Amino acid sequence: MSLTATAPAAPSLARRLLDPMVDPATFDFWAQKLNPVWSWSRTLARVVERRTEAQDAVTLVLQPNGHWAGFRPGQHLNVSAEVAGRRVTRSYSLTDIPRRDGRIAITVKRVDGGRLSTHLCERTRVGDVLELGEAFGDMTLPQAPRHAQGRWLFLAAGSGITPLMALTRQLCDQGMPVDLILIYWAKTRAEFCFAAELRALARHHPRLQVHFVVTHESAQGADEHEGFIDHGLLTRLCGAPDAATTATATVAWADHQVLACGPGGFVDAARALTATTARSFMAEGFTPSAPANLPMADDTAAVTVSLTRSGRTLTVPSGTSLLEALEAQGLNPPSGCRMGVCHTCVCQRHSGTTLDTLTGERSAEPDMAVRLCVSRACSDLSLDL
Amino acid sequence: MSQAPSSATAALPVLHPGIHRGLQRPLSPQELSDFGAEIEALRARTVADLGERDARYIRRIFAAVRWTEIAGRILLVAGFFMPGAWSWVTWLVGAFTLGLSKILDNMELGHNVIHGQFDWMGDPRFSGKTFEWDIVGTADNWRKTHNFKHHTYTNVHGMDDDIGYDVLRLFPEQKWHPAALFQPLYAVIFALLFQWGVAIQNLRVGRVFIGRITWARLLKEAAPTLRKSRRQLVKDYLVFPLLAGPAWASVFAGNLVANGLRNLWTYTVIFCGHFTTDVQTFPKAVLKDESRPQWYLRQILGSSNLSGGKALHVLTGNLSHQIEHHLFPDVPANRYAEMAVEVRDICRRYGIHYNTGSMAGQFAQVVWRILRHSFPSSPSEAMPEGVPAR
Repeated sequence: MSLTATAPAAPSLARRLLDPMVDPATFDFWAQKLNPVWSWSRTLARVVERRTEAQDAVTLVLQPNGHWAGFRPGQHLNVSAEVAGRRVTRSYSLTDIPRRDGRIAITVKRVDGGRLSTHLCERTRVGDVLELGEAFGDMTLPQAPRHAQGRWLFLAAGSGITPLMALTRQLCDQGMPVDLILIYWAKTRAEFCFAAELRALARHHPRLQVHFVVTHESAQGADEHEGFIDHGLLTRLCGAPDAATTATATVAWADHQVLACGPGGFVDAARALTATTARSFMAEGFTPSAPANLPMADDTAAVTVSLTRSGRTLTVPSGTSLLEALEAQGLNPPSGCRMGVCHTCVCQRHSGTTLDTLTGERSAEPDMAVRLCVSRACSDLSLDL
Repeated sequence: MSQAPSSATAALPVLHPGIHRGLQRPLSPQELSDFGAEIEALRARTVADLGERDARYIRRIFAAVRWTEIAGRILLVAGFFMPGAWSWVTWLVGAFTLGLSKILDNMELGHNVIHGQFDWMGDPRFSGKTFEWDIVGTADNWRKTHNFKHHTYTNVHGMDDDIGYDVLRLFPEQKWHPAALFQPLYAVIFALLFQWGVAIQNLRVGRVFIGRITWARLLKEAAPTLRKSRRQLVKDYLVFPLLAGPAWASVFAGNLVANGLRNLWTYTVIFCGHFTTDVQTFPKAVLKDESRPQWYLRQILGSSNLSGGKALHVLTGNLSHQIEHHLFPDVPANRYAEMAVEVRDICRRYGIHYNTGSMAGQFAQVVWRILRHSFPSSPSEAMPEGVPAR
């Protein structure tokens, strides 16, 4: 994922003066008696609308508080909620364009075994409060007054439709200044999100073509097709190459800029098919981290550990505790009892999988506190050290 | 020094009623290992069950701290404007309520959160590494002296600075000197100023008097503590009195009394945890090759509980379950009451003394200790010859 974030504005003078005197947790406690999304420093949002978008998919429209710094269509953000007492954070693409009333929307597809997606789809109601991160992502289009130009091909599979829907809405809002073909794959037609809206937009904008492709049932209707992504299907749906382009153009998408979004496997296939032959290619792969797929601790393997505070990257063996492995590399992280009791060595694991040697449990939850003295690496890690 | 045959028991010269008065019978290496496994299984079962109700519990404690704080502070102001005797009553209730807020903040909320008991929630308000509490000492210093030193080296002479806090002589193993005769007086002063004693514990001020470090260096190390103390003093004795306008004296005195009440209460509860009659202390030798089951055993033998109802548990920050807290320092304290049922059963089956009693009874034993060891005393049959006390 990219690092281009929409950062919040610099704090005001009053805010800077008050900061050392105010305890954020105390301020939030009292402020939220008046308005549940008021907070000293956290970006909170209230759910103002909840729509069933498709089978197993729900759109949540959110009203963020004053800390929200805005976004560009195509970007995604971290959304956090408390599930069974634990804060769970996952990344979702924003599906709508910036609105005057400041509301934003995410469309969540329930993943089997997914903790936050299940919670958001089944239990979240209007009035609930979620916490937001900053908007991230490079898969964006030029904003007004400059518009995108030329011919574009959006390839979406499953939940990959979410950022591409935002971009499609943006282009429609700009009067469709490009030739856009959107091809949207799903297992069954019950899973298509925004189907009615996309069909309506396609009717309204002659330069927009929308094709729905099902992979696990047979197609019905004029704009539906069936089959997985492959050369033949793409050629049929993209139409013949423009005779005016070049004599050496061999594929239907030769002069298209391609954006692909969906599960990792789909994005790889799209890349293999179009990256070298299209005018440009950009992709975002969504792969949910399911607990069953967590890597094991391999005593013989070495992993890469990035230390975000010092900016260093190290290679450490995964057969010893993280504390010992880091000390062997010359680092001196704070430590105490070295037996998992005093929590002196606790630090944030931003990403990656670790094994707790006392409980035998593996965890890949982003931004969790881990005890270095009783944790071993199961995968590449990023630590707050 | 008598040796047991297997290396699993090498750290404790012998698991013998002579050294471990709390054991009814010697424990074989296999029994010791089984004991450790049962303790760990209890912990694993509890941790696997953590969820919504524990999160709700700590949030409610946080809310209780906030509500008692605002109620106390408002009552202290209101007391000034009340007629006649109502003025004193309101002021007193205000001071007690604010004291209750500080007690809950320091004990059930602060002490437990700083242990990392609620880190699993991922909630930045309850993160052990960043939580700061309403007391003059810094949470960072507490993490070093309490979380690390006290809990790892519990009741080991020369390693656990909580044994007497370098102020009181509570065990015969500690060297006697004539100044100890006045320790009943020091004990009272220490109790009234307990938050300051805790705040400077990590500074080891004695070093400058024996020439180990310079005053300049001590001042540098003390900087965070000085900053935190200043912040607390400004908050309680400048900002809130000023905000009260004409009621400033009522607020000033009320805050002083509230801090004093917290000091006295925390002192009493903490002393009841490790200084009752049957609590054991250990020589440094016990740490060599100490296995995990042996560590659990030392935690039990070195701690004592208070029996009582739910109110006592909340008010003592669940240090009424000192034994469970020392076995499971990073398990949410609201779970100790239910875990105590199994811990007592495990202790019964392995012949380990489970030290508990009423607060009055336990504190009376603490007072006796303070009085008794202000006079010369020597370790009796506890140590076989050749085992150094320090």
